[in-house]
Amino acid sequence: MPETAATAIEFAGVTKRYESAVAVEDLDLAIPAGLITTFVGPSGCGKTTSLRMINRMVEATEGTILIQGEDNRDRPAHELRRSMGYVMQQAGLMPHRTVADNIATVPRLKGASRADGRARALELMDTVGLDRKLAKRYPAQLSGGQAQRVGVARALAADSPILLMDEPFSAVDPVVRTDLQNELVRLHEQLERTIVFVTHDIDEAVALGHRIAVFGEGGRIAQFGTPEEILRAPADDFVASFVGRDRGLRRLTFASGQELPMHPLEGGTASGLERPWAPWELLLDDAARPAGWRFGEREVTGGTLFTPGGSLREALDAVLSSPSGWGVAVDDAGRAAGLIASDDVMAAAGRERRSRYGVGE
Amino acid sequence: MNVLEQTWKWFADPASWTGAGGIWSRLVEHLGYSGLVLLIAAVIALPVGVLVGHRRSGGNVVVGVAGALRALPTLGLLTLFALWIGLGLTAPVLALVLLAIAPLLTGAYAGVSAVDPVVVDAARAQGLTEWQILTRVELPVAVPVIFGGIRNATLQVIATVTIMAYIDLGGLGRFLIDGLAVRDYSRMVASMILAAALALVLDAVLAGAQKLLSSPGLSKED
Repeated sequence: MPETAATAIEFAGVTKRYESAVAVEDLDLAIPAGLITTFVGPSGCGKTTSLRMINRMVEATEGTILIQGEDNRDRPAHELRRSMGYVMQQAGLMPHRTVADNIATVPRLKGASRADGRARALELMDTVGLDRKLAKRYPAQLSGGQAQRVGVARALAADSPILLMDEPFSAVDPVVRTDLQNELVRLHEQLERTIVFVTHDIDEAVALGHRIAVFGEGGRIAQFGTPEEILRAPADDFVASFVGRDRGLRRLTFASGQELPMHPLEGGTASGLERPWAPWELLLDDAARPAGWRFGEREVTGGTLFTPGGSLREALDAVLSSPSGWGVAVDDAGRAAGLIASDDVMAAAGRERRSRYGVGE
Repeated sequence: MNVLEQTWKWFADPASWTGAGGIWSRLVEHLGYSGLVLLIAAVIALPVGVLVGHRRSGGNVVVGVAGALRALPTLGLLTLFALWIGLGLTAPVLALVLLAIAPLLTGAYAGVSAVDPVVVDAARAQGLTEWQILTRVELPVAVPVIFGGIRNATLQVIATVTIMAYIDLGGLGRFLIDGLAVRDYSRMVASMILAAALALVLDAVLAGAQKLLSSPGLSKED
């Protein structure tokens, strides 16, 4: 990922005023090309309005928006919109058209033949992880998650370098949402588009965004930066309260757990022969994967696992969720590789904190 | 012999069907008048209803106008127009057009305005022009409701075109008016049966057309 990316979308002094209220005020923002930028903030903060001004679904009252250096009012609104994908909260699929026809909307508008549109739609169904068998279904026959994937495929069909997403995953259940978020990250790595993603969920903003714009009340940007910067040093009380009480914990997401001391499974650490997690005993299955813990006669399900390259947050969770208080680390194949002590995690978090503020050991 | 038996006898007589005043020619006249009335009413009401539905404002006016038109007694209008314009085709066609406008207008307006605004917003965001939104999204989705209005208007017009005979024009109403004049009740019953049968046949034809024109994606039974 480039450190200093070119600007894809630039807001210059953009204001949106409605009769009774100001939705967005004097917004200056440069959205880097090729990255995911999330707009996050409480409802009514102007994040969706700002997004919709990019493709002129909402017209700015003042100021200009440059798309790759070009004023977005230089061409007719419908042409501008065809040049960038748009995904919304409810998929908004056309109920009278099949899945394939819905996906092929923009190619067909641009003059692609029916056959070409259909071929492109099938390709995109693979891209977003939809079974091709669904191509001839109608939207009413899809689940919420499937409909949302069709919405993403339709937006990708524009083949544009820019993708606008307005709370696209907030109407689906949490499990499907996590799936779709992972999928989006994967798609982004594969397609390298500039994505502007609106959400009211700070966790989602942090999980997806390379850059986050935190919108405050009255349509101003309270802070713009990388997720790490925002969690580490909130610009003001508003941002601090919005990123929430868990921000100490969330920050650990950006601290690597690779330096953590790994205690071998068979015990025998520096301190001596004892396994320090006794009387707990780690159980393994035939493939040497962790299978829970034993305490005397009782067998208890294990906690979360610390995977290679995991963050301190993952390590801390492995420790906290483990019945024995010892986190289980696994290798790439899922085999138990060692155990993590809670003191080591806390010590690592402390080192990370001290190095961040430049205060000595 | 009771009225129904006499009616049956009249239907059974081949002479009732043929000739200038026979059932076939009256049926053709009836269909002609009805078609003319529906065509004129549709040309006026459908674009207005669709446009107001697309703009999603002014719905109150549409509902008010349709309600007012429904309250007008067609026979009274016919008399008024006949006195004003004189006898001939214009007066009854005008009265019947006013009758047909109400269901066509409300059907078109209700159908288009009921299209999910999220779908319209998404279509606009994909880059469809307003005209494309209307023709490729709103109208296809509104087909079932618009057809509801057309079928409703057709039933009313078929039933009411019988009053054309009141001012000396043709159509199936001829048997009603002529029968009344000579107290031949069987012919009056026959007139009603014919009008009802015609209405049912046309409704079935329109239902078929509606099914052909509606996308399978719009039916919820899947």
